[in-house]
Amino acid sequence: MSSKSLTLRNISKRFGNVNALDNFNLEVGVGELVALLGPSGCGKTTALRVVAGLEHQDAGTVLVADKNISDVPAHKRNMGMVFQAYSLFPNLTVEENVAFGLQMRKVSKHLRLKKAHELLDLVGLDSQNKRFTHQLSGGQQQRVALARALAFEPEILLLDEPLSALDAQVRVNLREEIRRLQLSLGTTTLFVTHDQEEAMAISDRVGVMNNGVLEQIDTPDVLYNKPASSFVAGFVGTMNRIPAHISDGMVEIFGSKVVALKRGNETGKVHALIRPESISVAATTAQGNAKVLTRSFMGASSNIICQTEDGTIVQSLMTSASTGDLLPGSSVQLRVLSSEVLVANV
Amino acid sequence: MAKTLRVRFQPPLVLTLLILGFFVFIPMISAFEYSIRTPLTGGYGWTHYIWAIREDDFFHYILRSMWLAGVTVTITLFVLVPTLTWLHLSRSKVRGLIDGLSLLPLVIPVVAFAVGAQISFPEFVQNTVLELPFLYFVLALPYAYRSLDIGLNSIPLKTITEAARSAGANWWRTITAVIVPVIRGSVMATIALTFALSLGEYTLTVLLHWDTFPTWVTFVAQDNILGAIAISMMSLIIPFLILTVITLFVPERSMQGRK
Ligand SMILES: Nc1ncnc2c1ncn2[C@@H]1O[C@H](COP(=O)(O)OP(=O)(O)O)[C@@H](O)[C@H]1O
Ligand SMILES: [Mg+2]
Repeated sequence: MSSKSLTLRNISKRFGNVNALDNFNLEVGVGELVALLGPSGCGKTTALRVVAGLEHQDAGTVLVADKNISDVPAHKRNMGMVFQAYSLFPNLTVEENVAFGLQMRKVSKHLRLKKAHELLDLVGLDSQNKRFTHQLSGGQQQRVALARALAFEPEILLLDEPLSALDAQVRVNLREEIRRLQLSLGTTTLFVTHDQEEAMAISDRVGVMNNGVLEQIDTPDVLYNKPASSFVAGFVGTMNRIPAHISDGMVEIFGSKVVALKRGNETGKVHALIRPESISVAATTAQGNAKVLTRSFMGASSNIICQTEDGTIVQSLMTSASTGDLLPGSSVQLRVLSSEVLVANV
Repeated sequence: MAKTLRVRFQPPLVLTLLILGFFVFIPMISAFEYSIRTPLTGGYGWTHYIWAIREDDFFHYILRSMWLAGVTVTITLFVLVPTLTWLHLSRSKVRGLIDGLSLLPLVIPVVAFAVGAQISFPEFVQNTVLELPFLYFVLALPYAYRSLDIGLNSIPLKTITEAARSAGANWWRTITAVIVPVIRGSVMATIALTFALSLGEYTLTVLLHWDTFPTWVTFVAQDNILGAIAISMMSLIIPFLILTVITLFVPERSMQGRK
């Protein structure tokens, strides 16, 4: 296994007056899949391109297995890369595309085609060897690109939103396939995406970026349940922001007091950050504290959207079985299920 | 929709064919017909062609012109492909300037160009016939430049280049193994244009006192106009054959990539 660890240390990169990366730090362990997640323009692609050597940082170092590679040119970095846009060579067949990296490494034709077939087999395209790339669907093209990036056994695999141009169904299938391949080959992987569901689904750890800075990097589980900042909380999963009052470390929401995990003000007005699954909606004959706006059935669970008396929209996720009487317009009682909540400044 | 278009009468196409026919095909066919007349018998024959081939200098000059044209093509590709690739990738502001400069040879009169070259070039440059390919390169620049520019504009150059580099190709391999094959059509057009223009260049060559195939033909024409026509007909066919052979030997691929 040729996989190596990757470290980005204090990387800064400016384009004119845009700070694409601002003292950016990241570590990816051997065989780990780390996703960089963030809104468009936050510097994800730039980070990936600095690692690949396609862009040179203004400051900081890139280390592969603790060796500084900042001055190694892109073609000598031995990193497989899959791009957002279709990037296959239109003059080559599928197998020649996959064998390209080995051809550049002067591997004999026989051996490199053998390796190409092996990889095409892994991505389920062995029957398409001799075709030209314009004869393939978008999903197939990205599979070939993936095979091409893996064929020369790269030390690190770099994926720049490889799924964003594909249909929803293909996207889900291919992301699972990427993960399966990555695990079986043990390739250290940096995966860039703006889709939080995608990042959470297949990564060992997810780094959330904002304005060129890594806000938090953790396992999907920690990221979801213990977001380090209000930005992360809002970006990962759905989060209700409910106006509330804080004093003595307690927040009052929907008439009851809950312990505040402090992130915002000590006293006064704050936003309580609460996940939809931590809010229960119960039908009530008395005057409740909210009204149901919509209820969408999603199989095992249902999404209930309510509006409180002061106009705040609140989203709740409940098992469908308990939502039978929550008709739009009906009066309901909202309650917070967790015993502690995150708060953020208004 | 497409079908009806194809079947329908197309005035622009007909007009183009008429103009081509009147100004190109008819004169060429007439010249050919003229060159195979044998005035003595009133019939047709290859007399003038045989005469031309038997002329001592025929092969000497045609070979010389062809290797000069070959050198010109080589210079053109080596200079223009990397330069244009760089201009396209860097999104540099100088690109507009270079685009404009590449058109200059169209507006500078060849006579002025030749005289200027004679005045300014150092002796050792003017003493070698190799000055010609460089000057031909300049004359062909507007066409070669445009043709390559169109090719590079029609492909996702940045992504393809970066894919090649991250897969382990250095700049030289990226250009030769990826970019050139992908824009093969426009590279072939550049070769054809540059080759033809170099092979037929007369004014500049004569003014700089060099002898090439076109200047030799003019010289021969003074004594034997029919022979000169025969020679010119052959000089038309030879490069055509060469280009056909080149096209046949380079595998037809990037064309399948389009449609
Ligand atoms: N080559 C470039 N020239 C100028 N600005 C750039 C360039 N590349 C990226 N940027 C800017 O840097 C910021 C980060 O871009 P990018 O890394 O592509 O973000 P992301 O991939 O997260 O959407 C953006 O504001 C973008 O406009
Ligand atoms: Mg991006």
